[in-house]
Amino acid sequence: MSLHLQPVRIATGTPDTESQLVFADGFLVAVLVRLSDDHGDMAGMWYLEAGFGPVEYSFPPTFTNLDEAQAWIEQRLPGAPHSL
Amino acid sequence: MPSASNPHALSMLVRKLESIAHLSDEEREAILSLPIRVQALPSRQDIVREGDRPSQCCLILDGWACRYKIVGEGRRQILSFHIPGDIPDLQSLHVHTMDHSLATVTKTTVAFIPHRALLDLTTRFPNVAAIFWRDTLIDAAIFREWMTSMGRRPAYGRIAHLFCEMYLKLEAVGLAAEHRCTLPITQTDLADALGLTNVHVNRTLRALRGDGLITLQHNTLIADRWDELTEAAEFDPTYLHLENRAAG
Repeated sequence: MSLHLQPVRIATGTPDTESQLVFADGFLVAVLVRLSDDHGDMAGMWYLEAGFGPVEYSFPPTFTNLDEAQAWIEQRLPGAPHSL
Repeated sequence: MPSASNPHALSMLVRKLESIAHLSDEEREAILSLPIRVQALPSRQDIVREGDRPSQCCLILDGWACRYKIVGEGRRQILSFHIPGDIPDLQSLHVHTMDHSLATVTKTTVAFIPHRALLDLTTRFPNVAAIFWRDTLIDAAIFREWMTSMGRRPAYGRIAHLFCEMYLKLEAVGLAAEHRCTLPITQTDLADALGLTNVHVNRTLRALRGDGLITLQHNTLIADRWDELTEAAEFDPTYLHLENRAAG
């Protein structure tokens, strides 16, 4: 399982525009958004704006950096050591 | 600590009940003579917990409280917010095991009323029992509205709806006026109450402010454009069943 990131700008309708599409083996599995200065203590963190399939999550988490976000996503994908 | 009557504290309960029904002089006197034990509690403290079998009910005199449940991974769902005059665990009078918890949100002053005193009151005054029943039915109506919000309203309408509801509840017991009220809750509280993330709450509050509908400052909510706020919320106050609500 290898993840591939592709930077995009996303229209959240807020200053949270810096985003990364996350692909796993060519499939889009998540959209991560970097939180803008609007978010105070959370500014600069990465938010799971959308997740697909096993990455869909009813309580979308926020990550300190992209490495942490990718580790979380990888763990939820089939083939991960602790996948469902 | 022994229970003693405290008419001043109990006037908050009278005010609440009179916001939803009429009390006779005799009924009012009986309520004001209830034995109570007043206690000041810090913020974020449990008052009763899921699984408890309380022998008293908790009347909020000052501050805010919330009912909640904890689900997997420690995530909290806030089920309702409570303000002075509310008895959030009134149901423990007849449903003996708590199926959720009740905690303070802010520093809170509460009055504990023994179940036996409430049972005696409702036996002697069936109309008071009917008013408590009415209160629990309104409680259920509020739950229906929250369920509708969480299932079908977008975040913008969901937050707007809660703001309209809390303002009218506070106004009904004389704690708010002119579309301005205290709102001593955090963005995390809002997220936990409305099934949203902190990020989404923050974005949505900015949108509500940006659209000029509300101002939030120092734990105060000002509904700058009440009509537009109610419109955004699709807010119809019928479910609160307030007796003497002033027109919007």
